[in-house]
Amino acid sequence: MLCDICKKNQATIHIHEIIDGKKKEINLCAECAAKKAPAGIDIGPFNLGEVLFNLDKISTPAMPPQPQNDDAQPPAAAQEVVCPECGWTLEKVRTSGGRLGCPNCYTAFRPMIEAALSNIHRGKVHLGKRPRENRREDGSALLLLELSDLQKELQTLIAAEEYEKAAVVRDRINDLKLRIAAGKDTPVL
Amino acid sequence: MNRIDVLLKNRVSFLTDSKSSDDIAISSRVRLARNLARFPFPVAANDATLTEIRDLVCGGMERCGALGRNFLLFDMEETTPIDRAVLFERRLVSKELLERKIGAALLCGKDEAVAAMVNEEDHLRLQSIVPGFRLEEAYRQVASLNDALENVLEFAFDDTLGYLTSCPTNVGTGIRASVMLHLPALVLTGEINAAVRGIGKLNLAVRGIFGEGTDNRGNLFQVSNQSTLGESELQIIHSLDNVIKQLILHEKNARNLLLDKNPNMLLDKVGRAYGILRHAYKLSGEEALNALSFMRIGVDLGMFSNVDIATVNELFINIGDAHLQKKENRAAKSADELDAMRAAMVRERLRA
Repeated sequence: MLCDICKKNQATIHIHEIIDGKKKEINLCAECAAKKAPAGIDIGPFNLGEVLFNLDKISTPAMPPQPQNDDAQPPAAAQEVVCPECGWTLEKVRTSGGRLGCPNCYTAFRPMIEAALSNIHRGKVHLGKRPRENRREDGSALLLLELSDLQKELQTLIAAEEYEKAAVVRDRINDLKLRIAAGKDTPVL
Repeated sequence: MNRIDVLLKNRVSFLTDSKSSDDIAISSRVRLARNLARFPFPVAANDATLTEIRDLVCGGMERCGALGRNFLLFDMEETTPIDRAVLFERRLVSKELLERKIGAALLCGKDEAVAAMVNEEDHLRLQSIVPGFRLEEAYRQVASLNDALENVLEFAFDDTLGYLTSCPTNVGTGIRASVMLHLPALVLTGEINAAVRGIGKLNLAVRGIFGEGTDNRGNLFQVSNQSTLGESELQIIHSLDNVIKQLILHEKNARNLLLDKNPNMLLDKVGRAYGILRHAYKLSGEEALNALSFMRIGVDLGMFSNVDIATVNELFINIGDAHLQKKENRAAKSADELDAMRAAMVRERLRA
């Protein structure tokens, strides 16, 4: 689809307006959209970062207005929080659309994030899956299950004085134990 | 054989294995966002780190074996624009992944039911798509991919906040469950606006078919959860399930209402759509999508003896610009030529 204004470029921005139940469609290329923007209602680009974290409020220091600062002096910047792991700052959160720089940012920016999380999510605490908790389908859980089955079988065989069969089961148990131990030693990155 | 050709030979299970009961919910998808512990998220990582992350993930995928031994790796640095567009049309990669290049990759099994995007917004976006309305099945598939990967990779996890993601909107479970719904009757009766508003109030999102920022072409809508923290994955899926069941009922009611009150209007739309698809020599993507949407109602209503739902569903993908050019093995020189190619392909498929 070509741009409605220049009729040359591919339209990449599609605006649908519904006014009094009538649908109006405008298709623009990025260039013409940029030119057209100031004419319309311009509330600036939507910034997820600012919406999520109320950044405009946070980055201004929460201090009562001080009369001697009236002459357009920039307010002393609020103590700038920097993530020690990745160097991320509030400004970076803002310019990257609300994204954090690394897992440690959750600790570095915790107060700000906690407020945002309760706006976005139903709860504040993770109730879902945890790493290496759900092992029913993986090999090691099956091995453990097999081990406990074999141990029961061994008891039964010993009780029945079936020592030859018991020896075979004992060897399988030892073999299993080795395999389980080997599995645990698999290095985790 | 080129890796993309392996995919193009696939039947696209999430569309073609549909049963006739899958009339309104086309497909269910579950995605999990994961990141490697001790690495910066992609937005803050430099090229060398991005490459390192990609190699770690690819190595892990190979060792865990969850995608089978011969899984496909598409390195976005090397994938041609047309092949990348094919991956996008098949819903295997997002626009965001295509915009990134360094370290960005797609890993998927040969049947493409389960896939992993590497270095999109997060290090890993695991996804599973199944036909019809079967969110729990999609979740089980993607969860088992997650479990296999967790044997060989350590994901960033916090006791209170759960899985840590680049954007706090995904933190916790990292889950985004969505169902693609075909809701033409709700659109025709105008009830869709109220439905969309209602869904918004339930903290769920409604989007067009190709994800964020796309409109509702083809009367196709994607309904997904928004909240990812404070509930378990299955709780999230079950409450989404309930809302979608309601939507499906509403759509069925709206179809019955239309058939009852104004059958000729509905039948006329189906018939005209079929006429266009069967006989047009130029079809734009949007016209094709909208006509397919109405033809699909006709199939749902049993109006066509020779066309099944899988054929129509498959056309939804095959009318894509990239799929058309890939099939013809040539690039279209103009939009006109592309529209002609599209019309020819659709005529051919519906001729049988």
